[in-house]
Amino acid sequence: MAVNLYHNRRAQWAAYVLLFAALAVVPIFYNEPFLLNQLARYAALAMLAVSVSLVWGYGGILSLGQGIAFGLAAYGMAMTMQMQFQDPLTDPIPSFMLTNELETLPLLWQPFWSTPLGLIITLAVPTLFFIGFGIMMFQARVAGVFVAIMTLAMLAAWYSMAYDMQPFTAGFNGISPPMPFEFWGVPIDPYSAPAYWICIAFLAALTIAAKILLQSKFGMIVQAIRDDAERVRFLGYNVAYYQVVVFAISGFIAACAGLCWVMVVQYVSPTSLELSLSVSAVVWAAVGGRMSLFGAIIGAFLVNGIQSYVGDELQQVWMIALGAIFIAVVLFLPRGLVGFVERILENVRIGRALPNVSKSAKELA
Amino acid sequence: MTALLEVTDLRKSYGSTVVVDGFSLSVGKGELRCLLGPNGAGKTTCMDLIAGRQRKSGGTVLFNGEDISSLSEHQIVRRGIGRKFQVPAVFRELTVRDNLEVAFGRSKGPFRNMTQFGRSAGIRRFDEMVGLIGLGDRQDVVAGVLSHGETQWLEIGMVLMQDPSLLLMDEPTAGMTEKETLKTSQIFNALKGAHTLIVVEHDMSFVREIADIITVMHQGKRLAEGRIADMEKNASVREVYLGTEGIH
Repeated sequence: MAVNLYHNRRAQWAAYVLLFAALAVVPIFYNEPFLLNQLARYAALAMLAVSVSLVWGYGGILSLGQGIAFGLAAYGMAMTMQMQFQDPLTDPIPSFMLTNELETLPLLWQPFWSTPLGLIITLAVPTLFFIGFGIMMFQARVAGVFVAIMTLAMLAAWYSMAYDMQPFTAGFNGISPPMPFEFWGVPIDPYSAPAYWICIAFLAALTIAAKILLQSKFGMIVQAIRDDAERVRFLGYNVAYYQVVVFAISGFIAACAGLCWVMVVQYVSPTSLELSLSVSAVVWAAVGGRMSLFGAIIGAFLVNGIQSYVGDELQQVWMIALGAIFIAVVLFLPRGLVGFVERILENVRIGRALPNVSKSAKELA
Repeated sequence: MTALLEVTDLRKSYGSTVVVDGFSLSVGKGELRCLLGPNGAGKTTCMDLIAGRQRKSGGTVLFNGEDISSLSEHQIVRRGIGRKFQVPAVFRELTVRDNLEVAFGRSKGPFRNMTQFGRSAGIRRFDEMVGLIGLGDRQDVVAGVLSHGETQWLEIGMVLMQDPSLLLMDEPTAGMTEKETLKTSQIFNALKGAHTLIVVEHDMSFVREIADIITVMHQGKRLAEGRIADMEKNASVREVYLGTEGIH
């Protein structure tokens, strides 16, 4: 009975497998360090777009604060990498702290002596923060545009904090760990194929997990909440509980994005907590199609690719160009690029479905 | 007959405006009760107070002998009270099948439902329901494209999927054609007995078709209660609601 190929689950899975396989084989054909690093960055940003698609496209929660999880994880990862470089005996504190007149390593930094602990903190803190923040918002039944305002305000608060706590975060300058991330004694060169593959593996694993989740009954209920939260509530579900869970999962995905980003960029500054990043992520998801994880990934790669390769003049006014793209998408492709594909496939119907359509049309008449 | 729902001296006011003013209602198991009254009589507010959508200002609501008025909406639903809204509420982006699938479910926790993929859990019940609401050949259609009548039936089906012992139906035939109303009355008559229903309705021919006993509300109070023939003769009912010429 399934009519449109776009809605065929097997076809959807085939598309995902194809996409990730295509991304995975890139280094075999083009082992160009700069290109691989560039694509690894896009992959990290694509994870951020996937988190937006999950929480906004499926969950109906327009979060402009996905950058909170991204930024917190980015700082966590940078701190982990920085401490891998420090030596407990000869060089126990990062140099920027010395210039800020700190004489001992702050308590906040102590756990990052241990790489595994550092990585756990990097992913756990943003996720836990999203759980707490989610409980606060959704228990109070904050919805719609007010979610956008609250997440935006929270993002701004974290941004100023990162900016102002100079002795701990190096403020505006940010933290640039001198060495690449080292995992089990093996340094991961950010310009190498392994670093690229790690990012692609993260992207693939998170996307597939999210996709499976969305096909479960949980996913169906989350989408039902997007359509009519009150109705779901009166079907006996605790709506706030579901919203907190989906918000926290999106926070975790955004945290993974921040981790991968710093691994391949080797630098963090308050810009990762800037509003422009979080808003851009919403635009990427919208361009590709917010109601499709696949679309969000395509959107992230496409928009970032364009941004990297447009001339210097357009670079100056990029945010304006991005705004124009967003308006154009909202007006002409409300379901993004994949929505366009859906519409095309709509016409490629399987023949035997047609009698059914005309039958119900007759009954209506 | 033991009362399934016992509402006593229910009150609701917004500031100084009293909407429900000492309303009492007792509905027995298996009964179909119609709630009538002019606009603003407080019918929908009463439904909201019973279902926990709004908080009462005073009085008690006993369901199966338990005071449910301090519970939250989803807890009240889990006790066995289903609610259909005045403006039909369905999940417009989901198919008819998925709408019913969401409505059906013994486990309501998010983590339990993350591991639920099989659609078989509800299948028998699903087929019965689709037959009852007559959307058999519309299962794979997105709910957003259904006609108004079909949307109403789908929502009734969704509420029934949970097999509630008490059903609150707020104007189920609003906006329906005569033919659709007839079909709805058939659905309701099929439900009577096995389920207990409270129906808010304006359409008198529909009420005549389904009701055992009707309760008439006026200005937040119970004005009269009895069989429909008695109500049609009742002078005060005629005055406030039915008009001096009688029932149309």
